[in-house]
This record gives sequence, structure tokens and C-alpha cells, in this order.
Amino acid sequence: MSEIPGNARTERRARLARAMADEGIDVLVVAGNPWRSDYLRFAADFTPVEGQAFAFIERERPARIIVEHPAEAARLRSEQAELAVSWSLSPIEETEAAIRELGARRIALGPLAAVPYRLAMGPLGASIAPATALLDRLMLRKSPSEIEAFRRAAALADEGYAVFREAARAGRPEYALVAEVEAFFRSRGCPENFQILGSGGREVRGMHPPMERRLAPGDLVTTELTPCVEGYYAQICRTLVLGEASEAQGRAFAVYNEALEAGIAAVRPGARARDVARAQNEVFRRHGLGDYVTSEYTRVRGHGLGLYVDGRPAVLEDVDLSLEPDMTLIVHPNTYHPEVGYFVHGDSVRVIPGGCEVLTRTPRRLFSVPLA
Amino acid sequence: MRRGLISWSRDEVPASVLEGRVASLQRQMRDSGLGVVLIYTSFARPSAVAWLTHFVPYWNEALLVVFPTGAPVLLAAFSKRVHDWIRSVSHLGEVRSAPDLGRAAAAFLKERPPAPSRIGVLELDALPWLVAEPIMKSEYGGAVVDATALFASIRQPADEVEIRLARRAATIAVQAFKAIPTGAKRASELLSVLERSARLDGAEEVLPRLAPDLDADATLRRLEGDAILGERYAVELSVAYKATWIRITRCVSTQAVPSSWRGAADRFVEAAERLNEANLSLEPQVTGSVRPGKTAAWTIETCRGSPPLSIVATGETPSPSALPGGSLACLSLQLDLDDGPWLGGAPLILGSRGQPSRLLI
Repeated sequence: MSEIPGNARTERRARLARAMADEGIDVLVVAGNPWRSDYLRFAADFTPVEGQAFAFIERERPARIIVEHPAEAARLRSEQAELAVSWSLSPIEETEAAIRELGARRIALGPLAAVPYRLAMGPLGASIAPATALLDRLMLRKSPSEIEAFRRAAALADEGYAVFREAARAGRPEYALVAEVEAFFRSRGCPENFQILGSGGREVRGMHPPMERRLAPGDLVTTELTPCVEGYYAQICRTLVLGEASEAQGRAFAVYNEALEAGIAAVRPGARARDVARAQNEVFRRHGLGDYVTSEYTRVRGHGLGLYVDGRPAVLEDVDLSLEPDMTLIVHPNTYHPEVGYFVHGDSVRVIPGGCEVLTRTPRRLFSVPLA
Repeated sequence: MRRGLISWSRDEVPASVLEGRVASLQRQMRDSGLGVVLIYTSFARPSAVAWLTHFVPYWNEALLVVFPTGAPVLLAAFSKRVHDWIRSVSHLGEVRSAPDLGRAAAAFLKERPPAPSRIGVLELDALPWLVAEPIMKSEYGGAVVDATALFASIRQPADEVEIRLARRAATIAVQAFKAIPTGAKRASELLSVLERSARLDGAEEVLPRLAPDLDADATLRRLEGDAILGERYAVELSVAYKATWIRITRCVSTQAVPSSWRGAADRFVEAAERLNEANLSLEPQVTGSVRPGKTAAWTIETCRGSPPLSIVATGETPSPSALPGGSLACLSLQLDLDDGPWLGGAPLILGSRGQPSRLLI
């Protein structure tokens, strides 16, 4: 059951309808699935749980939706009675036929990340790139109601991290920590979360889904957790140590904290994603850790957040995308440290005039969890 | 995204079983004249690759490349740093970094040209265009054929290993149902308990759907936010354990369990046991039953491709697709009883011709 306020849904539909009119599009066919549900959520306020889904968005009429499972169709009808929902064992063929029935109207298909082969090979293939660009533009800068959802997700991320810290005790398996966090998120009405973690010492090179490894004294325990509120993801990254932090762990934290602060200070309208990456990486280079900001040891220095957990822009030194007010992203200088292992530290921010607003509020500390 | 326990127990899923499954696919490939089969995986469509290799992507995408001989190769869009993790949870010959999966696949085919040249792709129609385009526009595009039916022909019936995993998944779900507090008033309270129980029991994933008040509406919903629980509500839990998915649905009454529900449960068992490979329809036995209530909806689902569960038959589709005896399937049934709706669901092993099906729990 969606608790999305009707005005947010209406607001997104109105923005999309205006953009479609500007581009001369009568019908926008939006593809999605549980992995790439973001565009569908934006266009039709629908998050598929299973199977393929397709939305036919018209400027002046409620959407038509085709899904793959009768249970998905039933729940969508109950969530949004105004939609025309059907299900099919062959939703791609059904969508293909529905596109044909639209005749000579101006139709576009997107997004690139979710369009299946069969539809892309059809008459709308050339429309995929421009339709995707249209949706990306709309989804990059958030509206006030989207910002509000993001703000609530960030607050939930803070609370979730407090639960994680409480759950992190020597002897517990990694998956038990995530179980406690998920139980907490569910208790707050949050159905979705992206979370990976790591535990151990210098041998740990990254994060992964929880495994059976049991936490041990002296471990660094890393996590990035990313709850979803009304479809919008916000993320926090922190590292804790089981017991007292060693001198090396303390020194490492100081570097990551400096890098995070430098990255956040670089976030402002007009700055480019590469500027934010460079600000963080320069800190590592100054500390003689320049090797550890390469793709051998890390992926990105942050990324966009919103309806997708790993959105644009990727914060990397070769990404030119300019930041604009009301873009939302995480800044995280997460990477391997040769003395202590993989280390994470990051906050969700909103770009505002002159700089950014940091929305996650958990103190920037190397948390120490008592062993007793 | 997947965020439960992902690990590979060699005791629960021996490497030899995975190798046997790959060998079975390779035999079919040779018989069909395919020089390679490509199988896409994401957390939304993980099951074919997981069945062959035990690999489940928690996010991101990968493409499994299976030649007629040898171990499968995984082209993974994950960062190289994750490769050790991938190797630790799966049985693969080689893992290659492939940030651009489609281009990497085309390049890999050039490096190891398939012989014979025909290239099978599981669920070709559904392959993401970003992945498909470089392959289809390469010199190998003309040799691509759909391999969905070929894969489905080897996927079921389930082997003993898969049945044990399904039984464990079902046990996780049943334990979660047992953890429901008797006085639960809100959906958030209920779902929190279910998630905690299932994940602490080792679930790889749990997807709950809830009809919070059966007196108002029997639709099973994905809840965002909260809802007040009625006196009668229904919960569907889809649980994955080591990449094996089952679905169980239960009704809960905060008062004494209505006698009509006992009859409905008996009827569910009766209907489930009468299913077999020659009879994948519920209608005759349900409508012919002397028990009260009429069928509102039903589905039979199984795994035979990359989606965890796909529809085999429903009350709305006149022609069920074929499913061999011994297949792992899930039956979901909704009945309209005199005193309101009732929902039930459970996994089963489909009977062979003339043999009853066996419920897993």
C-alpha cells in the first residue's frame, strides 16, 4: 500500500506531461522490473516486486499498466484504482501489441536500462535514447516533495545506523546485524533497503551482502545502509570498531574524515562531479595513499541518490556532470586502507544555493563498540 | 536488493550437483547444435544462473557464458574487488570483469568463437537492450537464437538438493509465521517480526505481502508505510534460501480460528494433492467439492528460467503449460467463504501421472 501523498504523484505526472508536450511525445512507454524500478516509480508511481512491467503514459489520461503476474496486477489496482491494469504471461508481447494499437501517434520508449531486446528491435528503437534523457533530466533535480521524502529517508538511515551499532557485537554473524536493521526499518514502514557490509581487518577489501562470519574483537565493521522512503533512497556509510580503536585505525579514520569533509565542501551548484571526487582523492594523495583511490581499490567517491540507489552522477574524476540545486547524492571516500583494511565514511547531501545541506546527522566518528 | 545471507554451503549444495546441472545443459546444447548459451542475471532475474552456479547477484548484473564443455564463465559488471566474494559463494570456471556486459560478451565471443556457431540466449526477448545491442550488432548477432525452451526442458523436475533447500525455505517461513505476536495491531509490527525471524534463520531474501484487513479487501499488498490490522488478515511470505524460492500464504485471526478456515485448509490440501503432471487445473475438484465456499483465484508457479517463480497455470488462463512430475511448485488459492475470504499457499512436489502431489510442509 503506497502512502505517497497524492500531491507528489500529481506533481511528478504534471512535470512529465509538460516535458512530453515539450518533446512532442503523445505516449511514453516506460519499462521496469524490480532491479530497475526507478523510472516506473517516477512515471506511474509503481514499484514492481516481481516480473517485467510496462507503463503507457499519456499526457491527459491515467496510465495503462501491463505486468507479468496476477498478484502484481491486483495490488496495483488496489493501490491506484484509476489505472488500467492488466497482466500477461507474455508482457513483452502484450506491450508490443499495445504499441501497435496506438497507431500513428508519437510514441517514445525508455529507459535504456530496462527496455528489453524485443521492444528495442521494434519501431521505437530510435526513441529510447531521447526518452531516457528526458526522464533522466526530470529525475536528477528533485521537487520539494521528493526532497521531503529524501530527507525522511536520511533520518531513517541515521536511526538504522544506530540499530546497526547496537546489533554489532562480538560473536554475532554478519547476517544477524542486517536482520536487526531490516526489522527496525519494517517497524517504521520501510519496505526496501540496500545494505552491504564488511567485517575483519586488513584482509577485507570491500563490502558484500552479509555472510556467516562472526564478528571478532578488534574488527572494523563497515556498512552502507540505504533505506527507501516513498521510493527515495538515502544512504549513510560508517565504520565502527569492536573494542578500542587501535592507533592505526584512529589515523585511518582521520584521513577518511578529512576526505569526506573536503568532498562535502566541494558540493555546490556549478561544481562538477569530478571536482567532488578530486577534493576527496587529493586528501588521500597528500597522505601518501594515492594508490588507493584507483579502481583497483575503490569504485566511486559517491553517487546520485533518489529513486535508484546508485544514480547519476557517479562521483569520479572523469565525470563532468554539473551539480545543480536540489540534486541529491552521497559523498563517500570509501576505499581500502593498507594498514587497517576497507573503510567507509559517507553522508547524504542535497545541493543548495552556495553549497550543500548534509541530511544524515550521525556523528562522524570511528565508533567503538564495547566488548563486554 | 538482496540483503539476506548469501553463502555457499558445499554440504547443502555439493559442487558435483552444480556440475551435473551444467552437464545437463551442455548435453542439450550439443543435441541442439548450440556452440554457447548466454544467461543474464540480476537480482530480479537470478534463478537460472543461481541454479547452475550458486551465484546470486545482490545488485548489478552479470552474464553467464556456457560452452558445450568446460566450466561456465561469468562476465560480471561488478567491481573487480568483489570477485573474491563471487568466487566464495559460487562454482565457476572463470570470473571476468565486464562493466559493459554486452560489449564484454561480444569481445569474449570473438576471443572464443563458439563451435558450432549458433548462440543460445535464455529469454532473449527480455534481455536488457543495453546488454543485447552490442551482441546483436556484432558479427555474432545473426547466429543468436532463443534458448528459453531448451533451458526449461532441463530445469524441472527438481533434484533432491533443491527440494531440501525448498523445505528449509519453507521452514524459515513457517517459523516466521509462528513468531507473529498474538496482539499485533499494526502491519509494521507484524512485518518487523516476520523479517527478523526469517533473516535470523538465514533467509537470503524475504518478500512479504499483506492483506491487512480481510473484511475490507483480500488483495495482498506490498506495504509502504503502515496499516491497521483487522481481526482477520492474510500474509504471503516469499522466501529464498540459497537461491531456492517458495511462497507460503496464511490467514491469521485475532479471535478464535473460524471453523470455515479449517474446512478451507482441508480443501487446500485436497486440491493440492490432486494436482499432477496430467492435471494442472484446480477447477474440477474445487467446484466439485462438497465443502463450502467457491474458488476466487488460484495460481501454480514454478521456476524454469531466470525469474524465481513463474506462472504455470491460473484460474484465468485456459491452457496451463506442461510441468513434469517431481517439479517444485507453489500453489496459491483464494476462496470466497460464507464468512469472508480465505487465502492459502504452500510449496509442493508435483505428482507424476496418476500420483498425488506432496506438500512440502
